[in-house]
Amino acid sequence: MKLNKLKRQYIPFMRAGLQTMIAYRMNFLGFVIGGLVYCFVMYYLWKAVFTSSGGATFMGFSMTDMVIYLFLSNVTGQLTFSSASNDIGEEIKDGSISMRLIKPVNTDLSYLATELGCSLMKLIVFALPVIVGLEVYRFCVFGMVEFQPINFLLYLLSILFAYLISFRVNLCFGFVAFYVKNLWGIGILKNSIINFLSGALIPLAFMPEWLKMILEYMPFASMSYTPVMIYMGKYDVNEMIFRLIMQLVWVMITYALSRIIWIGAVKKLSVQGG
Amino acid sequence: MRRALKIYRILTIQNLKRLMEYKADFLTGAVSFLIDQAIGIAFIFIIFSQIPQLAGFSFEQIVFIYGFSQIPKGLDHLLTDNLWCVGYFIVRKGDFDKYLTRPINPLFHVIAETFQVDAIGELVVGVGLICYSAPNAGLCITPLSMTLFVLSVPFCTLIYTAIKISTSALAFRIKSSGYIIQMVYGMNEFAKYPTTIYSNVIRLFVTYVIPFALTGYYPVLYLITGEDPLFNIGGVVIISVLFFALSLMVWNQGLKAYESAGS
Repeated sequence: MKLNKLKRQYIPFMRAGLQTMIAYRMNFLGFVIGGLVYCFVMYYLWKAVFTSSGGATFMGFSMTDMVIYLFLSNVTGQLTFSSASNDIGEEIKDGSISMRLIKPVNTDLSYLATELGCSLMKLIVFALPVIVGLEVYRFCVFGMVEFQPINFLLYLLSILFAYLISFRVNLCFGFVAFYVKNLWGIGILKNSIINFLSGALIPLAFMPEWLKMILEYMPFASMSYTPVMIYMGKYDVNEMIFRLIMQLVWVMITYALSRIIWIGAVKKLSVQGG
Repeated sequence: MRRALKIYRILTIQNLKRLMEYKADFLTGAVSFLIDQAIGIAFIFIIFSQIPQLAGFSFEQIVFIYGFSQIPKGLDHLLTDNLWCVGYFIVRKGDFDKYLTRPINPLFHVIAETFQVDAIGELVVGVGLICYSAPNAGLCITPLSMTLFVLSVPFCTLIYTAIKISTSALAFRIKSSGYIIQMVYGMNEFAKYPTTIYSNVIRLFVTYVIPFALTGYYPVLYLITGEDPLFNIGGVVIISVLFFALSLMVWNQGLKAYESAGS
């Protein structure tokens, strides 16, 4: 009964997300191609690094690992991407957030449903083709199928957690709009910090030991590094369970944090005119 | 010309006044770009902690290329940031009418209208890295090489500007071209590293088609080796002027196709 009501309330938001993706597909294509260009720059850079280092592996990664890591990080980044900080920031600035607040739905959940719609679309039209491509690449290199269905399913689960964390962290950034107007600058800052701390730019395994220790326990690692490592089969069973639990803990902590900030912030909200 | 300079000065002063009003915004923007750059450098540091040289270039040389590539990028960012808005929403919302009703060149007006101080972040990092790496980068410094090198900076900047003008002008035909600017502009990633690491096709592409390699690698290559100024510097000048002329053509053609958003 309750589930039915939830479905009725939030499915329209999800559909809206899907439709936005279709309506602005060129925009999305721009981001995808931009991301792939970046992957290729990194690919050549790493190739040069491997050639220069002379060894077949670089700090425990082979070139094949590196290729998979690069592209999968990009895919993961796209899937867990949340524009909540922008959307909520814009709505706070122009006051349209009041329309959301007066609707009889949970504000966070309505954002969440819209974005899940987008992510679903990305998964189908972008992530799956890239993953298939990567597996074909692996097949060509090793001459046998390396695909692990279990790892893939766990990867999807881990991505869901990663997305929830990313969503909450983004929401927290979005509330900064109550104080500063330069949302665009904040966006750049947020992206580069998350890119670095989450290991999307450079695998955490390459970092100095002390930094790696710290970063592995921060929420950022849960946003990209953990799912990718799971897919690549770099964790044994115990570590995998540990990492998934840690993700879950971060889901809860970031949830609580964003709620606290939200409750404080919404009291401060003043919308001019209407 | 003098009138243009006067207008530019007035508009820029207006911009700076607005800046004083929103100090926090300026700081957020500049600090954001600074940190974004710092992370790029951290990346190079971590790689070089494992290998002595990359594709024949030492750590200092790679840092020098990286640092230099940020200067034209930053200068263009400082001066022509409003082109992004043309691509993203000014044309789509019909706000471009404003520029057409004023008695100055619309392109000049668009560019003069914004003075984007966020770019200070990139410029500071670029100059800082050059100063840091120059003593040990094994540069071949003569009065001639220095002159040619410094001379290349405005032309490198022109390449960025030309690419932004032509991609934003597409908005006149297709209403919104922000994502195209984003896509093409994003290729400046290629400028940060020596082009020798890329495959031949990509090398030709970033030299002649979307010539971002000319904004970083080639001028620095000249300063390191002292060889081939004809291509490394001369090529930059010729190609950038060519691209700029082309972008003006695209812009003017586009302008004819502009129609307002109605209502």
